[in-house]
Amino acid sequence: MGLPLFSATQDPGPSFYQFSQAAGVAFPVDVAGAGEGLSAHATTVIAVRFVGGVVMVGDRQATGSYIASRDVRKIEAADQYTAIAISGTAARGMEFIRMAQLSFEHYEKMTNSTLSLEGKANYLSPIIQRNNLTSPLIVIPLLAGWDSSHQMGRIFEYDGAGGAYERHDFATIGSGSPFAESALRLGFRADLDMEAALELGALALYEAGDNDPSTGGPDFVRGLFPMMVVIDAGGYREITNDEVGERFRAISERRTSTGGVPGGTLR
Amino acid sequence: MSNFFYVAPEQLIKDRATFAQKGIARGRSILASVYDVGVVMVAENTSASLNKISEVYDRIAFAGVGKYNEFDRLREAGIRWADSTGFTYSRDDVDARALANYYAQHLGDMFSEGPKPLEVEILVAQLGNKFHQTKLYQIAYEGTISDEAHFAVLGGDAEAVKARYAALFSEPTSLDVTLRHAVSALGGPERSIPANELEVGVLEDRGARRTFVRLHVGAISEMLGA
Repeated sequence: MGLPLFSATQDPGPSFYQFSQAAGVAFPVDVAGAGEGLSAHATTVIAVRFVGGVVMVGDRQATGSYIASRDVRKIEAADQYTAIAISGTAARGMEFIRMAQLSFEHYEKMTNSTLSLEGKANYLSPIIQRNNLTSPLIVIPLLAGWDSSHQMGRIFEYDGAGGAYERHDFATIGSGSPFAESALRLGFRADLDMEAALELGALALYEAGDNDPSTGGPDFVRGLFPMMVVIDAGGYREITNDEVGERFRAISERRTSTGGVPGGTLR
Repeated sequence: MSNFFYVAPEQLIKDRATFAQKGIARGRSILASVYDVGVVMVAENTSASLNKISEVYDRIAFAGVGKYNEFDRLREAGIRWADSTGFTYSRDDVDARALANYYAQHLGDMFSEGPKPLEVEILVAQLGNKFHQTKLYQIAYEGTISDEAHFAVLGGDAEAVKARYAALFSEPTSLDVTLRHAVSALGGPERSIPANELEVGVLEDRGARRTFVRLHVGAISEMLGA
């Protein structure tokens, strides 16, 4: 590509998506079969708010008609204070994450200022809409982050047409959602601390992995465990695989001791 | 009916060069220098928001002197070029030399064919790693490109500043010392530039992917005072 210069009236501004459309860098759209298979997004990713931030938990299984991969990353840092998770078509999902990561950084470099978390959430809406309404390769993301101007963790979920909705408690995406939601609805409290939010998120993912064939639960044989992420005032960080493993081992042992019955309280 | 008079190409080039030089000379100089573990760019700038120095990519920075609207458009084009190149290929494939060449071609085209030459002089700095070398590419208003290993000076007073800095520079040293030398070379013997009128950008490895950092007034005055 040559030097991308624009006149003031044609300039796409600090939006990398606008620019990529103008310059033909990415996203060919308008594919036959648009809008079909809107519900097919084998995955479970959970976001739970706690008093000082947000916790995210995501399974790592890529499912076609068989298990294609057991160590996929469905949650990525979009920038220092924001995480994006994807469900749906893997190829489009990965491109979507790359586009989001680059866009936030691009905006920062172009304007010498950072996008607000709400700005990031709204920025993604038309990209999702354009993708989902013009192709059968559906992507439904989940955005969570630390809002430094409001000093709190925030979660934004999307519908298939790109509508962004803020959730004040928790949100889930993917085919395992109904099972994860049930656990979250019973266990969520407004005053959860980080440890309690991690525990609740892990338990909800365990439920989804236990019931949904397209969600991978903890894999003790291979030592592969779901991804767990914390975003708070200190930024985005991932919990180590060993720590996640211990948490899931504890849940599994409790379940084993009761012969698979969860019990009266959340276990 | 209009009359067209013959103008010798030599005269045309000379007139255009004089025009561009006058525009550039109105602005203050920028000095970029390699220090022991990075690259520092120092500009005299009374505005805290209209920047002359900017991040372009993980290891690439931009600096421009002359007409703000002209070099800022080049800065934006550079960021767009780098981001889309990295998106299409890989982050490691974004090289400052390619960008510097595009700038040189564009400035050359504008000088010989544009309605008027651009009144700017720009610098593309790259911090080296195992894929790319540390380089300072300087591009003049008419598209002349040069690559400097240690330091470069842009702007109207460039020759004098360069001579003063050359006298102070022997080999890459710490950031503090480099910054002090740069500021004293920019100001000259009669002037001392206050920290709040300096814009300083640094490319340095700190373990993160992005290496560009803009130094705040506090950090600058601390380094100058030490």
